[in-house]
Amino acid sequence: MIPEYLLRALLASIMVSVLLGMLSPLINTKGLAFLTHALFHALLFGAVLGMIFGLLFENLALVMLTALIVTVTIVLLIAHLEKLGFSPDSAVGIVASFVAGLTVLGFGVLYKVMATRPYFPLGESIVSYLTGDIFLISLNSLTVLVLGGAFLFFVMLFLYRDFLYLSFDPEGMESYGGNVRAYLMVLYVLVGAIGTLIVQTVGLITLQVVAVLPGAIALMVSSDLRKVIGVSLLLTLGIQLSSVVLAYLTDIPPSGLATIMLGVIYGVLLFRR
Amino acid sequence: MNPEMAMRVIKAENLTITYDGKPALEGVNFSLDEGETLLLLGPNGAGKTTLLRTIACFHREYRGKLEVFGKEPCGARELIGYVPQSHSLNERVPLTALEVVAMGGIYRYGFAHFKIPRETLMKAEEVLGFVGLGHVKDRLFRELSGGQKQRVLLARALMSDPRLLLLDEPLSALDPSARAEVAGVLNKIKRERGITMVITTHDINPLLEVGDRVMLINKRLIAFGRPEEVLQDSVIKSVYGPLARVIPVEGKLFCITGDVHIHRHGGGGL
Repeated sequence: MIPEYLLRALLASIMVSVLLGMLSPLINTKGLAFLTHALFHALLFGAVLGMIFGLLFENLALVMLTALIVTVTIVLLIAHLEKLGFSPDSAVGIVASFVAGLTVLGFGVLYKVMATRPYFPLGESIVSYLTGDIFLISLNSLTVLVLGGAFLFFVMLFLYRDFLYLSFDPEGMESYGGNVRAYLMVLYVLVGAIGTLIVQTVGLITLQVVAVLPGAIALMVSSDLRKVIGVSLLLTLGIQLSSVVLAYLTDIPPSGLATIMLGVIYGVLLFRR
Repeated sequence: MNPEMAMRVIKAENLTITYDGKPALEGVNFSLDEGETLLLLGPNGAGKTTLLRTIACFHREYRGKLEVFGKEPCGARELIGYVPQSHSLNERVPLTALEVVAMGGIYRYGFAHFKIPRETLMKAEEVLGFVGLGHVKDRLFRELSGGQKQRVLLARALMSDPRLLLLDEPLSALDPSARAEVAGVLNKIKRERGITMVITTHDINPLLEVGDRVMLINKRLIAFGRPEEVLQDSVIKSVYGPLARVIPVEGKLFCITGDVHIHRHGGGGL
């Protein structure tokens, strides 16, 4: 008999894998690895702000909602700066640094608010945002992950070709009538929303690795688009599921295991080249 | 084509293009009629790509008058096909030649293009055949030779049935045989489709056969006119220095510029 919490963790892993498996090749081809770094800061700031609101209004659902709003706002701000002429690196650097400062400030406020409400145990939530804790996923959170994930998956699927064209030649796309700014905004919002949705299962610390490496590995082993997406999906699925099972057997956090396995595969492929 | 009947495609009067208020190209006056091909010549940093991008509506900071088909450049976008330098593309994206060509035909309608419509694919195959690349349609773009990539990009531009083609250095980084291939396709486009073209180039050699007008710029307009009017010793020396020369041989002009390029009026190399 499989324990219910393990079943929930496995289901969550499948949804996370589908989202990251599809997104990762786009992150690699569009060169969004640095954006996922900004996502780290945005999500942490959003989570801290959400926890402050959650404590003040005694409603923990505000954590994810606030994190989502803050993250999407920040990625849109980055996209807007790029539109104004800043290079992607500069836009991410400026915004991420500013948000990092806000996060430190936010932690100060959070500790003060926590001190006024000792009966509200939020300490574990902060840790789960950093390292991910897939075994603690509740039925409600799983439902949000599956429904929200399915929606984001289909949006990504229907716009996948457009995102590839956007990565290939944005000027060409614009000259043939494509709304480059709109596609870029949608892509950034997708990255932000997917990050928010999966952060508690994957963890902020390892999010960048699991978002970037599957696509990087898939692009190393194949140059056919369908195969690239297939390899990325299967790899993410295999890594996520095996890390959950291994974590169940060894008590090592699954996000750490997934990161190590992906790193080893990437390293071996790089060495064999 | 009867000049009196020809439609004016581009008209520039006292055009000054600026970046952050600073002029990149000043005092440009010229016009181009339908069916004509303009070769835009000048040293690095002269403003060739700047002028091309302004006509294409990628750059909008300018003073003076610039009309494309009698409208502001952005108002004529649907009539323009733009061919960028192939090295400016992100070749990490695994797209086939056919998918790259189809890109030129799907953005007139819809926002999400999960599947390329059958008619678009058929047209993409047809234009790939027109540029002589029907046999590479399923090959990855990044695996094609330089000349083939340039022809794929030309095919992509033809997908939207443009009336004006803007080509940014279509011969750059190509070997002589690939240059001849691309020049041959440009000739075919001019001959069979009568599309007006503006082509920036460092190497005017293989393109003179297709060029009706030559414009020489170096931060400002140096000369504009028919090739035999512009390709003169004094004009060329004013841009490329005292070593530059124009030599008439057997009724054709050869242009030797300071950057070791030899240009001959009538095609071919020296």
